Amino acid sequence: MRRPKILVVDDDPDLVRALRLRLRANNFEVATATDGYSAIAAAQKERPALIILDLGLPVGDGFVVLDRLQNSDALAGVPVIVLSARDPQANEERALKAGAAAFFQKPADNDELMNVIRVSLGPANAQPAPWPS
Amino acid sequence: MDQMTTNVLLIEDNAGDADLVRLRLVEGQSPVKVNCVNRLSDGLASLTSETPSVVLLDLNLPDCRGAETFRRVMEHSPNVPVVVLSGQDDEALAMRAVHSGVQDYLVKNNLSSKHLERAIRYAVERQALLRSLEIAQKQQLEFKNQFLSHVSHELRTPLTCIHQYVTLLLDGISGPVTPDQADHLKTVLKSVNQLHAMIRDLLEATRAESGKMRIEPRCVALNELVQQAAAMLRPTAAEKGVGLEIGIDQTLPLIYADPDRVLEVMINLLDNAIKFTPADGAVMLQASKVDADPGAAYVSITDTGRGIGPEAKALIFERLYQDPESVDNNRSGLGLGLFICREIIRLHEGRIWVSSEPGQGSTFTFTLPVYSLAKLLAPVVTYQGGLRPSFVLLRLELTPIRNPPRGNWKETRQQCLEIVQRCVYLDKDLVLPPMGTSGTTETFFIVASTDLQRSGIMTTRIREQLERVPDLKTKCTVTITTVPVELASAGATVALPEQVQSVADCVTKMIMATRERQQVSAVKSKRDSN
Repeated sequence: MRRPKILVVDDDPDLVRALRLRLRANNFEVATATDGYSAIAAAQKERPALIILDLGLPVGDGFVVLDRLQNSDALAGVPVIVLSARDPQANEERALKAGAAAFFQKPADNDELMNVIRVSLGPANAQPAPWPS
Repeated sequence: MDQMTTNVLLIEDNAGDADLVRLRLVEGQSPVKVNCVNRLSDGLASLTSETPSVVLLDLNLPDCRGAETFRRVMEHSPNVPVVVLSGQDDEALAMRAVHSGVQDYLVKNNLSSKHLERAIRYAVERQALLRSLEIAQKQQLEFKNQFLSHVSHELRTPLTCIHQYVTLLLDGISGPVTPDQADHLKTVLKSVNQLHAMIRDLLEATRAESGKMRIEPRCVALNELVQQAAAMLRPTAAEKGVGLEIGIDQTLPLIYADPDRVLEVMINLLDNAIKFTPADGAVMLQASKVDADPGAAYVSITDTGRGIGPEAKALIFERLYQDPESVDNNRSGLGLGLFICREIIRLHEGRIWVSSEPGQGSTFTFTLPVYSLAKLLAPVVTYQGGLRPSFVLLRLELTPIRNPPRGNWKETRQQCLEIVQRCVYLDKDLVLPPMGTSGTTETFFIVASTDLQRSGIMTTRIREQLERVPDLKTKCTVTITTVPVELASAGATVALPEQVQSVADCVTKMIMATRERQQVSAVKSKRDSN
């Protein structure tokens, strides 16, 4: 079976690297972007199965990206999980209204994050994939 | 209008006194415009339409007398300076007036124009100064809160990075780790989690202080929360060798509270209790009711720790308080946990306190409101101090297409409830917490503060939304009936809480009648099918 591809968008390259390592260990393919503009470009080019999106981004913040994705016929169906340091009280509802599938505040619990990724990807991925030994 | 003109609102019923004051005012150096009314009600009406520079107020008016007079003026227009003009030289009343914020107290019969003019000018200046002080304080608080919220956001970013890399190592993703290394990494992770909790508390306390903390109350079974909290803390207690017991009361009424927040308070108090109880000690979490206080449910957390001294007891719920006795207990946080607990309980209109004797352990107790329909209805059925003009009760019935339903009927019901909640106007309509089921038909009730026509629009919307949901696990049919709520005793003579109660009583009666009918027809259909 082909491994689902996840696009990670965050302006902190160290965090992007850590998430890439963790997602690969969980049997996902990973593409990355570090600003709003290249996030859209990467989404169009890579056609990810899911997007992990930060809100505070240069060149078009997370809400701009969410808006663009929702207005694109090809990308509107891709589930987006927001992973942000921002206050959920002020941002969670707004993000969900803008089309996000879930909101996690940083630092997020890894197990919960992986669970929500699998659930968002659909039944085929609902079971945790075995880790490479 | 000329900026230099002083606009005086004179509230004085004695025509002679009014003329005298007017004369004194126009004799003065600076231009003045006087608007004179002779009743307090007229004065308040004038204050509503325009803001004068100063109010000169007699305390002997036909519709109000004494201290009540200035209290009402200041309550109506807190930013307008008030100078009392009294016929009598009453030092006690004058002091009372000044203490409640009146700018000056003058006696009418020894009033010179110079004296009056100066009193007015100083009153205006003092009031302006007070006002700018208030604004500055507000700005300062706002700035502090913004700063703290910014700091906690900025701290999260590097913390997230540390958290990610430590867990990468711990989970073996970066390669195998030795048992010693894993142990060290776990210590790092524990500190990261402590830091994370502190940042969360900092933001939460800031929110509480600026009145931005929110709760989402629902109709909840307290016993379930007690069991949940105990289950979460059991490993911590076991690790320390502390016993953890729970006491629940099956006859406890449902409470009206935010379950996540109540759980947060219980966990915080339990965590503290375990922390301050030595190995082989015991912690007890108990939910109960008190006959003398039927409107509340009580939750208490008792430990066999060393107890709390009287000084600490008085301050323990204050922000940033740290018990000096507990410094030996390594890193104990910011001292915000109990402050946050108190604020959460306060938002629920409950009370929280501690009773303890040094050496005898402590008991933390808090109360939560019992679920009451009238209390739930109050915010949606009232508007600007009165009852909204009309209400309807919507009954929404969900019947599964197949009987017995296929798939997870419980999940379907929950999903439908959430859809319905999204369809109503939050400030005007109330979806009542589900009240059990009759057979497989689920009934939701909605009290809507709208007329029949608008509630018709709402029912259409609900029906559309429910029918449009593609992934409802079990298909069902939706029936909605609307009935206007008749009010027996609503009127201007009845106090608002009683009016709300009568709406609640009426709604309860209608719901009970519906449920009885449903049960009768359920019995009937059963008999028919036999």
